[in-house]
Amino acid sequence: MADAPHPAPLTLDEVRARIAAAGLTIAENRIAMVHALLRDALAPLRRVDSRTIRALEPAVAFDATGPHLGARDE
Amino acid sequence: MSDAIAYGTIRALGEHYRQRRLSPVEVTKALLARIEKLDPALHAFVTLTPERALADARAAEEALRRGDDRPLLGIPVAHKDIYLTRGIRTTGGSALFADWVPDADATVVRRWTDAGTVMLGKLITHEFAFGLQFPGHRFPPARNPWNPAHVPGGSSSGSGAALAAGMVYGATGSDTGGSIRGPAAFCGVTGIKPTYGRASRAGVMTLSWTLDHTGPLARTVEDCAYLLTGMAGHDPADPASSTRPAEDYVAALGGSVRGLRVGVPRNYFFDECDADVVAAFEDALRVLEGLGADVRDVTVPAFDLSRSFLLILVAEAFAYHEHDLRTKPELYGDVLRERLMTGALVTGSEYVQAQRIRTRTCAEVAEVMRTVDVLATPTTPKPAASFAVMQNPDLAFPKSNMPPFNLTGQPTLAVPCGLSSTGLPLSLQLAGRAFEETTVLRLGHAYQQATDWHTRHPAV
Repeated sequence: MADAPHPAPLTLDEVRARIAAAGLTIAENRIAMVHALLRDALAPLRRVDSRTIRALEPAVAFDATGPHLGARDE
Repeated sequence: MSDAIAYGTIRALGEHYRQRRLSPVEVTKALLARIEKLDPALHAFVTLTPERALADARAAEEALRRGDDRPLLGIPVAHKDIYLTRGIRTTGGSALFADWVPDADATVVRRWTDAGTVMLGKLITHEFAFGLQFPGHRFPPARNPWNPAHVPGGSSSGSGAALAAGMVYGATGSDTGGSIRGPAAFCGVTGIKPTYGRASRAGVMTLSWTLDHTGPLARTVEDCAYLLTGMAGHDPADPASSTRPAEDYVAALGGSVRGLRVGVPRNYFFDECDADVVAAFEDALRVLEGLGADVRDVTVPAFDLSRSFLLILVAEAFAYHEHDLRTKPELYGDVLRERLMTGALVTGSEYVQAQRIRTRTCAEVAEVMRTVDVLATPTTPKPAASFAVMQNPDLAFPKSNMPPFNLTGQPTLAVPCGLSSTGLPLSLQLAGRAFEETTVLRLGHAYQQATDWHTRHPAV
């Protein structure tokens, strides 16, 4: 399933494929840093099953005073 | 200029002015001379504006003669160089904008100017608030006045360095993942990231629309309260700006903190912490308990997922910079360029999942904030690192204690709480409920009344 947990860390080959898909040129001596940054940022996503996150969508609309402050149960 | 004046407080300087012991013009001249002497080694300023400063100071003197009693009148400040300033170049710390002169002020700049502050100049920022300048960059990075071999933190690097060196009384900062609190922590000064939407971002260069906050840095909590009062409030020019009325944050100081419930989330924030940091933090908790606060442990499991904030940051930053990154990448600093390009590698699904984790974090924190009034953590796991460490091009993004509160948007204060065994400042982080800046400021002020860490200064 597309959003099932994906425990394997991001590989360097995946990073190269993503760079190619984005149409960017990244210097060879910076790819390890890019890999580390993206791997670390993705690690939490790969640890959790996104289906278990409570339905509070749309999550991309953010308001510090939003309904989450008063929401005890969903 | 005496250290007492260089390191004075806003309240004390205002009293000096009103009792005719000092004048804004003489203080401004003295600070300009101090900057001229110290800044060649510290690089806190990217642009000095002496003519503007003296004009502001003369106007403040006139106003004082008329009996004007506004608290920020004649107070010397400077702005992080991602805040647009009319007629004064605004570089963003980048070669891309090295000679750009905006034709309008950022809302916060205008508000501080209208409040009577004296603008001394523009303070260096990490490039576009995200990338420490590497050797060979058009603009040299600021250095930490406590030890110039160490970074002052970023991205409001010049703001932290200028305050620690006694060059200004207040400075603007911005905070997307800790850029107000980090420099405050590493430079031994105080900074507050207000609630998301509390202070305007209009006219401030964007790093990440949903994570960016603006706020002040100063040397004390009381000074931050004065400066926040002068900048907070609704701004229709910022789509995220809250319509809630701003408060008088100074008036809220001084009340008792007895019975205030302080929660300590023991997960995430203590990972990779130095022993010095933990010891200083536990000492600070004992001070808070001594003031009558009810300190207890709390659990927010979602904090362990906080690193996913980077996906939001780099994806949004790439969206902002994409055109320039694709057409003139050579004008971006080394390493920053590739960090920003990482945003193009985040899939749509990953961005959405990161925002869902953010929502989960907000929900869990909201539950915990029903049982406590403030969360307390170490601001940073370690004191300021050296340039040798931070200018390693292979360094990705070190673990940080500050992004969780960019995700939640809570008001979060950083106050000095000790010195490391190497003589570098350590800091306490206090986060309150949304729009309860008064609570964290009151607690931070009480802490500073009981301790003297905020009065320690580097030998510059």
